[in-house]
Parts: sequence; structure tokens; C-alpha cells
Amino acid sequence: MIRIEPEPWAAMLAHARQVYPDECCGVMLGISENGAKSVSAALPLENSFEGPRAARYELRPEDLIAAEKAARGRNLDLIGIYHSHPDCDAYFSQTDLKNSCPWYSFVVLSIRGGEFHHANSWLPNFEQTEAAGEELIY
Amino acid sequence: MPKVLIPTPLRQFTGKQDTVSVPGGTVGEVLGALTARYPDLRKQIFTDEGKVRSFVNVYLNDEDIRYLGKDATAAQESDTISLVPSIAGGSTVTAPPETTADAAALSNDEILRYSRHLILPEVGIEGQRKLKAAKVLLVGAGGLGAPLGLYLAAAGIGRIGIVDFDVVDVTNLQRQVIHFSSDVGRKKLDSAAEKMLAINPRLSVVKYETALTSENALAILKDYDLVVDGTDNFPTRYLVNDACVLLGKPNVYGSIFRFEGQATIFAYRGGPCYRCLYPEPPPPGLVPSCAEGGVLGILPGTIGLIQATETVKLILGIGEPLVGRLLLYDALGMRFRELKLRKNPECPVCGEHPTITRLIDYHQFCGVPAPATPAQETQVNEGEIDVTEVKAKMDRGEDFVLLDVREPHEYKIAAISGSRLIPLGEVSKRLGELDPKADIVVHCKSGMRSAKACAILRQAGFERVRNMKGGILAWSDRVDRGVPKY
Repeated sequence: MIRIEPEPWAAMLAHARQVYPDECCGVMLGISENGAKSVSAALPLENSFEGPRAARYELRPEDLIAAEKAARGRNLDLIGIYHSHPDCDAYFSQTDLKNSCPWYSFVVLSIRGGEFHHANSWLPNFEQTEAAGEELIY
Repeated sequence: MPKVLIPTPLRQFTGKQDTVSVPGGTVGEVLGALTARYPDLRKQIFTDEGKVRSFVNVYLNDEDIRYLGKDATAAQESDTISLVPSIAGGSTVTAPPETTADAAALSNDEILRYSRHLILPEVGIEGQRKLKAAKVLLVGAGGLGAPLGLYLAAAGIGRIGIVDFDVVDVTNLQRQVIHFSSDVGRKKLDSAAEKMLAINPRLSVVKYETALTSENALAILKDYDLVVDGTDNFPTRYLVNDACVLLGKPNVYGSIFRFEGQATIFAYRGGPCYRCLYPEPPPPGLVPSCAEGGVLGILPGTIGLIQATETVKLILGIGEPLVGRLLLYDALGMRFRELKLRKNPECPVCGEHPTITRLIDYHQFCGVPAPATPAQETQVNEGEIDVTEVKAKMDRGEDFVLLDVREPHEYKIAAISGSRLIPLGEVSKRLGELDPKADIVVHCKSGMRSAKACAILRQAGFERVRNMKGGILAWSDRVDRGVPKY
């Protein structure tokens, strides 16, 4: 179960709307206890995919290192990654799966016509063959 | 010993340590020693074949070891090794499956948030889901838009569009409670959206930074279930009405003036529209705006909340909608009255034989000029005089009359020294007090009333009459900041 507090949730939606029709991406900071995650801050990061970004995103490792550092500085943990699917449902695509990491929750935001539509959270496996749905509360 | 920084999710395998120092001369040796010390970590970083997992990048300080010597990269005592996941993705490649989430379902958080709604049997889960699925367009983020925006956001409307192109002015703060003192100078859209999202982060706010026009109205309105009219001028009011009739969307109407307000729902199926009530606009200038006529700051709160109530009732389909009834509110008498409104079968837009089947030029229809461009606003036309020129005349000691046609209580707030007060309503009766041959400069607050006074004077044979462009507001801005603006 992952719970996103109102402030980071608003920041994530604003970020997704702002970069629409491109995909946005960023990280979620918070705490995780016995499988219950609570996100208290969202950190928008740059989509560094080189090419059309309407249906692809890529996070720079340097940005992840910096985000991890920022989390430590705030006494929080980096517990999830978010990205948007413009004009598309919030499913976990093959591209998402093949470039995922089982350490984190992956929140996907469906943005339709520039506006938030729905969202899902996913937990990919080690083999990158499957992602289980995770209860998402926002 | 080189240090390894442990990413958050892996700290459960290192006894919560975020940094581990392990011996080793190369990166490969360090990672080997690390996973030997913490066996559970091994699966996270290495495949069964002992290769680093594809989603793990290993960094030595700030360099990816793939571009150094890979596993054999030398690790010094002072080096820091980071395990960085490689993350990317995108919506492409496979066709999306059917929608997995029901957009209008309520999460547990929402159930708690809206509990006082949910325990009303008239609302309940079903009703709250209707509110969440609803799309409401607010035309204007001013006096009426302020309470509407705040309460509709709190009530759980799913999407609220706002059309506004204005910026927050300090004179708005007396009534437009969605804007704070610190917002002066900001776009009303940004200021309003920020407050609404602070109240309800689940809300989706769509901002339209434009005037509503005949060209864009249908495209903007078509995506919404109903429209709430919070405008302050007749051209836009007729435009909203006609667009709502043409699209078949209810128009939740409100208007305010000094201490009185009105509210009703127009263009509801079977009900009357604004044109059934007012087939023709009033003559330009007859009905003053809030800026000219003043308004009790609380009044738009009362009227806006009646509009918000009717909006929520329409979405929920409960109660008796304010259709076919014009609610009149008098704040001084503290009375509500109701007038019956009937649909006019001859109505040019919603009648049996409509003659208006598409949007028209509403500025022309209302006999008012289209909003001036910035260039036009500063241009001084025939019969007008710029404030700086008036000041220069004074400084040169020229003999002329500066005639102030505002009301006495306005004169008390601010006046230009040396001016003479004759309120607009008395000008035609008191012509005898003025010399028809004199050089006369007329001013009011912003230039509207003085333009009318100039017309009266010219008609009476006064020849040397000019209107001071921009009124005492422009005087305060550009000549004497010591004169307060109001």
C-alpha cells in the first residue's frame, strides 16, 4: 500500500500537466514501514530521454543520486518513482517493465487532454517480467 | 576502505545502515565483499549467474564503471561506490489494456474527507461520485468566482475549469476572498487555482487564460456539464447564455450590484434563458459596474454561494432547482424575494423559431466597444486630454475649469485640488454655473461619466470641452501619487 499526501500529490499532478503532452518523471520521498509506504514529498526530475518524449521517459542516474542525497538530507527515503502516460491509461507498459527496478513503487499517472484522469501504482519483479498492482491512496 | 552507499530499499538487508565500508581493491571485489557480508543483498544486485542486474548501475564517485574499467575499476580508500537503479519507461510498445481504474470511485481517504456528505442520504456514495465525475466551468475568478471556486473545490467536484485573464488588483481584496494580499499582481487564474488545490488536491483545475469570445466559447464550454456565470459585463453574459442554449448546458447565473443580487438557472431543459428575461441589453452605461457603482464586499459571497448550492444540487439531481424563478436578494433589507420567470416562445435563441443559431458579435449587440488594446488605452483621441497635459496647463497658470462630475462622497475620498464638483446627474440642471466660452476639462474616476458630461456640455453649446482620459485614477498614477486611488 502506498499513500501519497496531498502536497506531493498536487505537485505530481501539476508536473504531469505542465509537461503534457510529454511524459513527466520524478521521485517520491517518504517513509516505508512494513510494506506501508507514505509519500510526503515529490521531486520532479527532468525527462532525459533523447527523442520524442510523448511516450518515453528516462531518469538520469546522476539525478537519482542527487535525489537520494536530498532524501537523506530531509530524513526521508526515496521510495518510489512516478511518471505520466499522456492520453493513455495508467498501466505498466512493456517499456516500463523492461526498464524498471523492483526496489521501488512505480506510480503511473494517466493524463488525458492535459488533465489528470486516473493513476495506479505498480511493483515490478526482479526478472522484469511482471508488475503487481499496489494499492494507491491519494 | 571504500564506502558503499546503500539505496533506501536495500537498507533492510544491511541492518538499516545507509553507508557500509568494505575492503576490496576493485569495485568487483568491494561488491563481492559487501554481498558476502549481507547475503540477502546478493539477490538484489546480482543475477543467479553472478552478473550485476540490468537495472543496477554501479557508480564510482560520480562515474559509471561501465565507462571506467567495469568490475576491474580500481577502488581507493577514499572512493564512494553508489548503486543507482536504471529507470526509464513509457507508454509505447504494447497496446493499452482496458481502463483499469474507475475514475469516479472513492478512495478511503476520500470517504473520510467527504463523510459529512456521505451521511446525508440525499448525497451518499452515489452522489459524491457524481460530484467527482462532474465538470464545472466558472466564467470569471472575481467576486462570484471566489466563493464558487473555494466551495466547489471543497465539495469534491472532479474538474473545475476557470476562464479569466485578469490579474489580482488591490481593490479586489475587499470581496474576492480567494485572492490574498500577497497575490496582488498575480494572475487570478494562478491565485485561484492554488487556493482550490490547497483545499482539495484531488481536484483537477483547468485554466483558460483568455476572455470568453464568440470564437472560443463553444470549444471551451463543450467539455463541461454546466457553466457558472460569474461575469460582470453584458456582452459576456449574453455570450455565456447563448453558448449554453446552443450546447444545451445549464447556466447557473448570478449578478450583483451595490447591495443587491440576483440568481437563477438559465438554459435548463424546458426553462427560460437570459434572453427570455432580458431580450435586449440595457443602454450602454446605464447599469454601472462594481468599479463605478461600488459593491458591498460580502454580497458576492452570498450570491456566489447560492450559485454554488444550485450547481451542486443540479449535479446531484436533488431538491428543487432555481429554474423559472429569479431570486432577488436585498442585503440592506435582508430580504429574499422571488420572481416567476417564463420561457418566452418568441425568444430569439431558445424560442420555437430561433433566429440566433450561432454566436454573434456581443460587443456590437450590447453597443459597447470591444475591450481596448493596450495601445488604444493610452492613445488620446479628439476631445480628450492627457492627465500630464492637464498638469502642464495648471503649472503654466492657464485659465481653465477642471470639472469633477463624480458624486460628493467620492470627492471626499480623493479630489484634484482646484477642481470643481458638479455630479453628472446635476450637470444639465446647473449649466448656468458654467461659462460656455470657458476652457473646460472634465474628469471623473476613470473617464466614463466625464465622457457623458462632455457630451451634455457640447450639446448645450459649450465648445472648449475636453475629457480627461483615465480620470482621477490616471491622475494618481501619472501625476500625483498623493491622490489616493479607490
